[in-house]
Amino acid sequence: MICDNCHERPASVVVTQSKNGKTEERHLCDVCAAHFQPFQGDFGGDPLGIQQFLQNWFAGPGAFQNTAQPQVNSGPECPNCGLTFRRFIERGKFGCAECYGAFRKELPEVFNKVQGGHTKHEGKVPATYSGRIAAERKIKDLRRQMKEAINQEEFERAAQLRDEVRELERSLEEGGGQDVVD
Amino acid sequence: MSSIESFLKNAVTPWMGPKGEYSNIVMSTRVRLARNLKGSRFPLDFSREEAGEVEQKVAAALEGMEDFSHIQMETVPAIQRQALVEKHLISPQLADPERPGSVILSGDESVSIMVNEEDHIRIQVIYPGLHLMEAFDRANDIDNRLEESLPYAFDGDFGYITSCPTNTGTGLRASVMLHLPALSITSNMARITQAVARLGMTVRGSYGEGSDALGNVYQVSNQITLGKSERDILMDLRDLTERLIEQEERARRALREHSQMKLEDRIWRSFGILTNARVLATDEAANRLSDLRLGIDMGIIPDVDVSVLNELMIFMQPAFLQQYAGETLQPGERDVFRAKLIRERIGMGRQSGGGED
Repeated sequence: MICDNCHERPASVVVTQSKNGKTEERHLCDVCAAHFQPFQGDFGGDPLGIQQFLQNWFAGPGAFQNTAQPQVNSGPECPNCGLTFRRFIERGKFGCAECYGAFRKELPEVFNKVQGGHTKHEGKVPATYSGRIAAERKIKDLRRQMKEAINQEEFERAAQLRDEVRELERSLEEGGGQDVVD
Repeated sequence: MSSIESFLKNAVTPWMGPKGEYSNIVMSTRVRLARNLKGSRFPLDFSREEAGEVEQKVAAALEGMEDFSHIQMETVPAIQRQALVEKHLISPQLADPERPGSVILSGDESVSIMVNEEDHIRIQVIYPGLHLMEAFDRANDIDNRLEESLPYAFDGDFGYITSCPTNTGTGLRASVMLHLPALSITSNMARITQAVARLGMTVRGSYGEGSDALGNVYQVSNQITLGKSERDILMDLRDLTERLIEQEERARRALREHSQMKLEDRIWRSFGILTNARVLATDEAANRLSDLRLGIDMGIIPDVDVSVLNELMIFMQPAFLQQYAGETLQPGERDVFRAKLIRERIGMGRQSGGGED
């Protein structure tokens, strides 16, 4: 028997599906059966169809408004894998890590749509990055504390915090960071 | 060599055990971290050579980690691949015979590291009951370990780089599998699904589609991976899960107060069918088992161990059933075999649980 789906390979799996009380039987090859597993919820798939989410990107107003020929403009292209921004929007998947750099200007708007308005990472940072990023975050936090201290007229504390910020900034300029922030 | 056999021998994996917080309603907790390596294209576009390189790097990074088995998907027959999917140890995508890929499984089956699925690396941890932080900590430990020797793709603005922009940032998808029969019986799931979506999270049937969740088993997960810390994502999901548990418990109390006899009748009928039927299709079996589980939780049905039901939910799926039968079964034969298996297991569960009444 030939596979009901691809009509090419021999069928090796029988899939039964019940819908509205009617039972349907399909004979599939193992290739097609792997794509057709109604019993399994997709454990790790996209929570929402990102393609659907993004497909109006080029049609809608706002995007690439200032370009003369929006239909032919494919947006930036990744120098590493050759994926264009347009193609990325169409399929909803990046090609390689370099795509992020190539589309850096466009990405905040993409993330704004698919990540509920968020565009900046706030979570874990790998150890190799953590020195610098942790120092930058610490500086941001110290500055906030400094402002608070000034508002509450705790000038001595504010001065202390300012010194800490300066020291961190100096170590960042020297390319360090790891030693100051643990 | 045939280490895969050991992962398919038993339907019960530790995460299906009876332990864990709220284990009557929360069946399991799952945490997944998506990671990619610098320099190789993502699996959707990469060449066989790149796939092999990623494969080797990950294997080398895990060298010396005890009690992990590395299984190449192409060496696994189709039916066994599907059985691994049914057991939630791999995703349907990794089971695709036309794509390269492998899975690294811990001996206790709580950790599965998928290599070259949609991302180069997906670290998955499944625990029984509600254990979001613990599951995350375990995944995070493995992540730290891999990071020591692997060049992760990371961006200062966007965080961990993933193939799909819905995973970018933390790469963290946390989900909780919930049995919500009372909310389903009282037609509350459509309302809840909508409310949850507004919180940046999703509810889906764990088996089957949308609000017609097979066996009333739902999966709640975070939708947003960017702009929130891992802890915040997990805390928000935990809060939501606790509210759903509370609502399910309230719905159960309402059923007891307003329709005790109807509820008992429904549950005992299902028990009667499960212990006597000669032919059982998947969806009927799943829904009757849901009734039985509710009956056990509410003290209506004594002497049946819930872990038997957990086992049956896995065992009665097509690939597992055939794996167990040791032969290919046609759908009609499968329904007969499924009915027999369920009859016997529930009978055994009752005997060991407290004898015949």
